[in-house]
Amino acid sequence: MSVSSTTPATTAEELSEGGRRELPQKRAKAALSEGKRQERRLGWLLCAPAALVMVAVTAYPILYSFWLSLQRYDLKFPSEREFVWFANYATVLSNGYWWTAFGVTLLITVVSVAVELVLGMALALVMHRTLIGRGLVRTSALIPYGIVTVVAAFSWRYAWTPSTGYLANLLSDGAPLTERASALSIIILAEIWKTTPFMALLLMAGLALVPEDLLKAASMDGASAWQRFTRVMLPVMKPAILVALLFRTLDAFRVFDNIYVLTNGANETSSVSMIAYNNLMKGLNLGIGSTMSVLIFLAVAIIAFVFVKLFGTAAPGSSDEGRR
Amino acid sequence: MATLDTGPRAKLKWGLLDAVVVVFALIPVLWVVSLSLKTTATLTDGNFIPREWTLDNYRLIFQTDQFVRALINSIGIALISTLIAVVLGTMAAYAISRLDFPGKALLVGVSLLIAMFPQVSLVSPLFNIERQTGLFDTWPGLILPYITFALPLAIYTLSAFFKQIPWDLEKAAKMDGATQAEAFRKVIAPLAAPGVFTTAILVFIFCWNDFLFAISLTSTEQSRTVPVALSFFTGASQFEDPTGAISAAAVVITIPIILFVLFFQKRIVAGLTSGAVKG
Amino acid sequence: MARDDRHPRRRTMRARVAAAGAALALTAPMAACGSDGEGGVPTLNLYQFPVESFQHVIDTCNQQANGRYRVVYQVLPRTADDQRVQMVRRLAAEDDSMDILGLDVTWTQEFASADWILEWTGADKAAIEDGTLPGPLASAEYKNRLYAAPNNTNVQLLWYRKDLVSSPPKTWDEMISQAQRLKSAGKKPFQILTMGAQYEGLVVLFNSLVASAGGHVVDDSGDKAVMDAGTVKALRVMKKLATSGVVSPSFSNSIEDDVRLAYQSGAGAFEVNWPYVYASMQGDAPQILAKTGWARYPAIDANTPSVTTIGGSNMAVSAYSKHPGLAFEAIKCLRNAENQEYLAINAGQAPSIEAVYDRPDMAKAYPMRETLLEELKDAAPRPRTPAYQNLSTVVAAELSPPSAIDPQRTADSLRTSIQKAIDSQGVLP
Repeated sequence: MSVSSTTPATTAEELSEGGRRELPQKRAKAALSEGKRQERRLGWLLCAPAALVMVAVTAYPILYSFWLSLQRYDLKFPSEREFVWFANYATVLSNGYWWTAFGVTLLITVVSVAVELVLGMALALVMHRTLIGRGLVRTSALIPYGIVTVVAAFSWRYAWTPSTGYLANLLSDGAPLTERASALSIIILAEIWKTTPFMALLLMAGLALVPEDLLKAASMDGASAWQRFTRVMLPVMKPAILVALLFRTLDAFRVFDNIYVLTNGANETSSVSMIAYNNLMKGLNLGIGSTMSVLIFLAVAIIAFVFVKLFGTAAPGSSDEGRR
Repeated sequence: MATLDTGPRAKLKWGLLDAVVVVFALIPVLWVVSLSLKTTATLTDGNFIPREWTLDNYRLIFQTDQFVRALINSIGIALISTLIAVVLGTMAAYAISRLDFPGKALLVGVSLLIAMFPQVSLVSPLFNIERQTGLFDTWPGLILPYITFALPLAIYTLSAFFKQIPWDLEKAAKMDGATQAEAFRKVIAPLAAPGVFTTAILVFIFCWNDFLFAISLTSTEQSRTVPVALSFFTGASQFEDPTGAISAAAVVITIPIILFVLFFQKRIVAGLTSGAVKG
Repeated sequence: MARDDRHPRRRTMRARVAAAGAALALTAPMAACGSDGEGGVPTLNLYQFPVESFQHVIDTCNQQANGRYRVVYQVLPRTADDQRVQMVRRLAAEDDSMDILGLDVTWTQEFASADWILEWTGADKAAIEDGTLPGPLASAEYKNRLYAAPNNTNVQLLWYRKDLVSSPPKTWDEMISQAQRLKSAGKKPFQILTMGAQYEGLVVLFNSLVASAGGHVVDDSGDKAVMDAGTVKALRVMKKLATSGVVSPSFSNSIEDDVRLAYQSGAGAFEVNWPYVYASMQGDAPQILAKTGWARYPAIDANTPSVTTIGGSNMAVSAYSKHPGLAFEAIKCLRNAENQEYLAINAGQAPSIEAVYDRPDMAKAYPMRETLLEELKDAAPRPRTPAYQNLSTVVAAELSPPSAIDPQRTADSLRTSIQKAIDSQGVLP
């Protein structure tokens, strides 16, 4: 897992707003002034390097990955490389380990994102509304966001290691990281600790949009704090919440660092990222590893699609975003 | 939640909530610090606060090539990636926020897609491409994917900042007789600098944090970064547990993060929320 | 692209091997005047897991090389998985900074099949084969070619309580009934302690039983899963052991150290484990050691001697080494009889050269050496297939917990999954 890498609430619409305002002029292509043409050229020129790098390092490899996934390509048997069509997909999709990892990934994703949403909302309210020590709270909350995931994972690992750890000693027996249920709980806890602040920051951005006078008015009308929260704040924040959920869900689905350090996938705690890594790096099986890469890519695409279509999360290019 | 209540009781309530947040956020960090300061004898006592203090673990890691090389790699790779990503990102963000050209929405869409891209999907193909091209286990081999995944972050954050700049000032300055370059240097650059700086911090944190690419695309001290080196620590001898050394190294790579957070808290918060707060 | 770039790549591979062969012939005379290109003594990087006192062996060889080469010890991480992954990644990237590789016996076939290590031929091969025990030697072979030099070896023994059992059991059946007699007589301890957790140790147990029953997991070429009647017989014994009521309740969770500690604490009448438990008992539980005897690994049939699984490590020359000729030469020195004896005494590593066991100093370090040697002469390597890593994972998973084994059904399903592993269709968890 990595630090989520963007400010999702900023959208394509917002950013290209300038362009849209001048849409009518665009149609008059023939009549483009020299200045306009220059502007276009400059725009392309300035964007070209970034676009090139992004496409070259993602689009090409994912296509190449698909190509590899259609082959028997195992570094252990270099002379047996051959084209096998979709045999690798049949292998992976009929494999118990894959589905176990898939289930583990879904479990971690759903539980951690759900808990993060609640905790993140609470943290956002504290960060946004606290009367004292606002700087202190915000500074502390940024530490889990910024800290290297592997470092935090080691901290949790040692905390739960019998005899070494302060947390393990609270429990009377056993090594929690070697039992499946407790190990998964610890992985989820580590995820939640690390990313709740990020969720909270995204939600805080939404919170800032809630008009103060609306809250005051509701308060005057005798609405309780809970009513003000559900009736006034939540509806205004809905787009921000959905975007935060989308990003955290996709981020949680990639979980790798915490599992690698905490259990290394033992006792059926592998995520899909772990299992893909293992088949590539331990199994040296580029065919199977690439098949998993493609399947994970598809899974992420489906999740994003579901969010956009079913929940109406404002996606890049849709028209209701950026109009808050 | 009452917005009107600002009395001492409310202050106490918020104070308690603040305390919960601070404790929640800091305990795992303090625990690693504590482990790194424990002596070998007290390492397994399970105490949160060390009973015996020592700096031996820090001395140990700075004497090993394994850690020092990894630290140099981490710093070098993160700085170069940040520099390139911010430069490319600034160019693109300027174009997106200031210029009108076809394909703009496409670029923004692509960036968003990449921000959501499962990185593990790139591990297999990049491993194979890099081992065939000789990029495997080199700095550029890591810098390239880092730039790619940092660019969406850079473009989004910078575009949001740039949109807040009153560009009309540039025109005004020129009308006052300043040249284009002067207008840019005296008026726009000072306004844009904080946004660029904030973006650089966010991008640096992202690169500093990466584990998956670093563990998959490196194999030696030549390019292995600290998060990966941590998981390969062997301790002073075969039978010595490396807990103390790992903790000390973990603290060392946490220091820059703590410094950023302490000194630039407001900027980081603004950077992460800018797009939503001010469209 | 698959077909297109496959041939050039293979050609480079072959070219490298050919070049290596040529170098082999050339380096010997040239080495004396420093063939490194940079002048000075060529450096040979040896990548191996941490071994105590190994630096001493390297120093000895460097001195004897007299300036022709200098071996530098690059210590790999502690866990076998990490060691393998680190080497494999470099080899996949054709890293030429690795010369000598210290390989776990189970990796040799994988590295050979991947064209990552060079075959031993001619006089070098003869030198390695001379006097080396057949079991360890077999672990270094793939498709009837020699790819590595056995360095140290290892086999498990039966340790038993002389005060409870008058004569050590010859077979697993006999051991189980002895334990059951102790149990019903109310004697304590009565337990049989050995490794049954879902990991490599369980595969070692399975492999020893299969080999003792005359069965085969894969065929000699390593290309085909067999799982014949012998394997079913072995599975029956495993199931019987697990459900006999005389194994430890934590059998299906035990690894080497759990077993060692349980026996040391006096919880078992029998222990099947590696020889390192002897030294450990000397230090930690001398009162238990005084009552402990050792015997050959239990057999399946009283009339057929047991065949035990080989452990230990081999040394190989990287296909990408710049100095393959010197690397072969250095390995011959590093694993010669004197150095094996030194490591046996100072690092507890059992020698792979038979004659070393007869040396006078060995009696003290290895009082059980006769039993050890007897087993080693009949020992069997683990299934010799490049897909061993995969095979081991599925075997451990399917056999765990051992009490749930259904011999014929388990054998059939293992045959399918092992064949898949060999055909690159195995999935690692």
